[in-house]
Amino acid sequence: MTDSKLNYGEKLLYMEGIVVEIDDCSIAVDLKGRLGYFKAPKRMFISDTEPKVGQVFGWNMSFPEQLSDEVNEKYITNIKKHGCKKD
Amino acid sequence: MRNIQILLRQHVGAPCEAIVKAGDAVKKGTLIATPTGLGANIFSSVYGVVEEVLEDRIVIKPDAEQPEEFVEIKEGDKLEMVKEAGIVGMGGAGFPTSVKIGTDLNGGYVLVNAAECEPGLRHNMAQLEEQTDITIRGLKYCMEICNAGKGIIAIKKKNEKAVEAVRAAIKDEDNIFIHLMPDIYPMGEERAVVRECLDVLLETTQLPSAANAVVINCETLLRIAEAIELRKPSFSKHLTVIGKLNDGRAPHVYFDMPVGMAVEDLIEMSSGIEEPYGEIIMGGPFTGKSTTLESPITKTTGGIIVTVEFPDLHGAPVGLLVCACGGSEDRMREICEKMNGKVVSVAACKQAVAAKPGAPLKCENPGNCPGQAQKVLQFKKDGAEYTIIGNCSDCSNTVMGSAPQMKLKVFHQTDHVMRTIGHPLYRRLTISKQVEQLPNGK
Amino acid sequence: MSITAETAKEHAKDPAVLCCRAEEGIVIEAANLEDPAIFDDLVDSGLLNLDGALTIEQVLGAKLTKTCDSLSPLTADVVEGFKAATEEVVEEVAETEEVTEVVAAPVVAGTTAGGVLKIHIGEGKDIDLEIPVGGLGGAVAAAPGGAVALPVAGTTEAPVAAQEEKVVRTLTRKHFNITEVKRGPETKLEGTVLYIREGIEEEVIATSDLVKDFAIEIITPDIYHTYSETVMDVQPIATKEGESELGSGVTRMLDNVVMMLTGTDEGGVQIGEFGSSEGYLDENIMWNRPGCPDKGDIFIKGNIVVQEHTNMERRGPMAAHTAFDHVTQEIREVLKKADESLVVEIEEIEQIRRPGKKKVVIVKEIMGQGAMHDNYILPVEPVGVLGSKANVDLGNVPVCVSPLEVLDGAIHAITCIGPASKEMSRHYFREPLVLEALKDPEVDLCGVIFVGSPQINAEKFYVSRRVGHTVEMLDAEGAFVTTEGFGNNHIDFASHIEQIGMRGIPVVGMSFCAVQGALVVGNKHMKYMVDNNKSESGIENEILACNTLCHEDAIRALAMLKTAMAGEEVKAAEKKWNPNVKTTNVELTDEATGTKMELVDNEQALPMSQKRKEKYD
Repeated sequence: MTDSKLNYGEKLLYMEGIVVEIDDCSIAVDLKGRLGYFKAPKRMFISDTEPKVGQVFGWNMSFPEQLSDEVNEKYITNIKKHGCKKD
Repeated sequence: MRNIQILLRQHVGAPCEAIVKAGDAVKKGTLIATPTGLGANIFSSVYGVVEEVLEDRIVIKPDAEQPEEFVEIKEGDKLEMVKEAGIVGMGGAGFPTSVKIGTDLNGGYVLVNAAECEPGLRHNMAQLEEQTDITIRGLKYCMEICNAGKGIIAIKKKNEKAVEAVRAAIKDEDNIFIHLMPDIYPMGEERAVVRECLDVLLETTQLPSAANAVVINCETLLRIAEAIELRKPSFSKHLTVIGKLNDGRAPHVYFDMPVGMAVEDLIEMSSGIEEPYGEIIMGGPFTGKSTTLESPITKTTGGIIVTVEFPDLHGAPVGLLVCACGGSEDRMREICEKMNGKVVSVAACKQAVAAKPGAPLKCENPGNCPGQAQKVLQFKKDGAEYTIIGNCSDCSNTVMGSAPQMKLKVFHQTDHVMRTIGHPLYRRLTISKQVEQLPNGK
Repeated sequence: MSITAETAKEHAKDPAVLCCRAEEGIVIEAANLEDPAIFDDLVDSGLLNLDGALTIEQVLGAKLTKTCDSLSPLTADVVEGFKAATEEVVEEVAETEEVTEVVAAPVVAGTTAGGVLKIHIGEGKDIDLEIPVGGLGGAVAAAPGGAVALPVAGTTEAPVAAQEEKVVRTLTRKHFNITEVKRGPETKLEGTVLYIREGIEEEVIATSDLVKDFAIEIITPDIYHTYSETVMDVQPIATKEGESELGSGVTRMLDNVVMMLTGTDEGGVQIGEFGSSEGYLDENIMWNRPGCPDKGDIFIKGNIVVQEHTNMERRGPMAAHTAFDHVTQEIREVLKKADESLVVEIEEIEQIRRPGKKKVVIVKEIMGQGAMHDNYILPVEPVGVLGSKANVDLGNVPVCVSPLEVLDGAIHAITCIGPASKEMSRHYFREPLVLEALKDPEVDLCGVIFVGSPQINAEKFYVSRRVGHTVEMLDAEGAFVTTEGFGNNHIDFASHIEQIGMRGIPVVGMSFCAVQGALVVGNKHMKYMVDNNKSESGIENEILACNTLCHEDAIRALAMLKTAMAGEEVKAAEKKWNPNVKTTNVELTDEATGTKMELVDNEQALPMSQKRKEKYD
């Protein structure tokens, strides 16, 4: 849990979110409290039964921290090429 | 006043056998039961008539008139008189004193346990302040009987008045000294007294004789002196009544209460319970047990405590940390139940060991913590939200070093007593375990 | 809790932390110190910060200059007269020395090092959840001295051949060398030049409505520095000869060339969007991994564009794989007819049973959560599509295959996330654990079981119970359970191990764990674990196949299983991932076998991509 790159990595927050989208590969979740949206591979979700839209998942998370102020031009190229990955 | 109930087992060893029957008239000091094995004589503490003899007790209806005179024990040498008087350790354990001091220490030590370690109790200090000389004479008899070269009175430094009284009394005694103790629980534990005074740490299975010493409670010394000088049998007790009483929270100290007196009568003498209350404890906050109004006091009863009500945990999961210094697991479970908690995990302090399964726990190094973080982790893993601990000052401090940070709320087994009597709760330890001694122990 | 003098000695190089409040002026002894065994939990709980702590050997006998409370690390500012640190890298050195000692001592011959997954599980019957913090130490046991000595290099004979080895069947691989791949009017093999028909792209696109575009690129070593979309799969080009069936008979295969599938949807979204390895090929491929191209290989790289958004539906990746196989199949047809004179090497792989030796089985967990977490099992052609069944369609239940079927391309891998841990189709074709176990004269490999990893827990336990019964009825004496990647598949991975372990059969688990793949669950049977991690920081570094099972892992796992089957102890690994555990085990194995294990490179050997430079190093 301790990652030397992070200053606040130990601060775990309990979060909940609503499943808003499921496809064959991934599950998308709206974070409660208008805190955003994320989509991740199914493999990273643990469920006793078939996940369904409208269900609530819970997890612990921390804050993403900026690791450096440098901008990687290659990522910029990729982003421009593919557009924003999800609109 | 209720009937007097004299229990046949008031000491370590087998119960005594009654030698009176219903209808017999008895006086103060009438021998009413004798030992069947290891034990001590039991005497009537009142004038009255035996109402019934039950399996575990003799019930006596006291007369209205209670003269001061008592039936004297027969003369003999000092040890014989201690034995005859039925004296047992008054500090709580109740080991027959004649057996304890019937030994040749070859110039060793008599250590006087005047720590009065259980918070809230006051009668030992009151005795040292008011009955100083007879107590010191008791010590000298005791040293003579067991051929000790040195007497050391172990007393907490905070009890300044008692310390001064003792200092004055021993100033011309060549071989009696004072050892000051810090105000830390459990300085009054027998092996803690040996360690503090002699710097010898006994195994849990060893007796003080292994350090060439006997440890004796200060009230026991008084009873020894009474037996030898006044030929008085042991049928009365000093004790403290304290708690949620109608006249406030100050201690009521009583000298020479008749053994067998009901808890209720003592509480009534002390202005009565201020309702509502939590529980009544017989003994001290750490090692005492809950009791009832009808229960009688014994030769070893030191305190009666009426507590405030328990907090309500609403069925929250609780981890119990059982320690030799505090209540047994049963007692801890009882407290948890009274707090409406649900026991989800139980751990014993690493140093709390039982000589054999089921025997009471003893601490390997009383008052010096072996670390508790692992127990706290265990409770946390077992889902506990609260922990109730029965630890000594040092161990409680250690628990506080980890539990709150792990979001485990800490209760101490004695909290309800401490809240009642306005004593700080056992949590963080802020004072030193070291105290400055008197010059040359005088 | 306070420790004894012996414990203090064992943990001489561990940080010194007070177990209880200690007062100024005391001389520090073992009884004042907390047991280092619980430090990980304490650090995790935020109760302890070991920064600047002196070691136990440094503080013993020194004087405390300030009253400190419980769980205070002893630092130089509160201790007077502590000893100077002996070495800079105390912990690693201590660990290595200690382990070596154990092996060297004749009394405990065979009691060896290794990695125990230190996840404590209480009495619960099911899997207990633990805080997913620790990694697993890769680990191994050295062979016990004398008792089950591994063959020393050069002497290949088994020490005692009580019962005869039996060759059940043989797979013959006829190798054709390819030096050049060109486009031409027809697909053909001319000497060592492979031609791929121009215009085949149209047919590929026509295989499915979902396929919107397709392009072939021939990547030769001189243009490895080419930008590419996410690599979805790397496949060998092989075909069955005549009537031969998969897993036996003759397989013809092309050397020095691989099929490489990449793709996006019409919107340009990568198929396998998560953790993609798009970028310059030479910066993103861990060369020579079993599942990867070897350095020098020519890639026939097909980039497929599927219908918008189907990249996330099952039919998208499936259509891409099926369509691409159209090209491979045309090459296979040519290869079938190729002149025998072009064969440069004939390789015989024998499936050997060794009655009387310890019977072991390999359970390989494959992804089965759906879509890009799927695999085609047992196609007609090596790593083909035709004739295969999708793992998900089979309900993820265990499928028993022969070791030779595995090595003949029984798995067409569709799995597409976690590039560093994904087992490509080529991985199975060169599966190191199967190869090493077949080769090992001390074990009797009875077969391989593939079991899928379903999405939901109920199904996970359904399939793992099948695994348990299957292994039981095989009368196996030892088992390996491997998995690729991490995530909820670690739940069934743990459950497979438990199901086998509870039957009294020792199990070695193999997975990428390290830091990022730390197991989410554990149980008491997870005592023998090998970490497939190769990355420097123990993470999913997006380098293709970097953290997949390699020969060095297989050798360690075999040594560990043999130790476990011999009833000997494998030492516990630390809770936090420590790459030195692996290093030590490798040394131990080398020492026991008298050989030198060549360790594979990791991403540090690749030209540094800007991405990696930024993110990981």
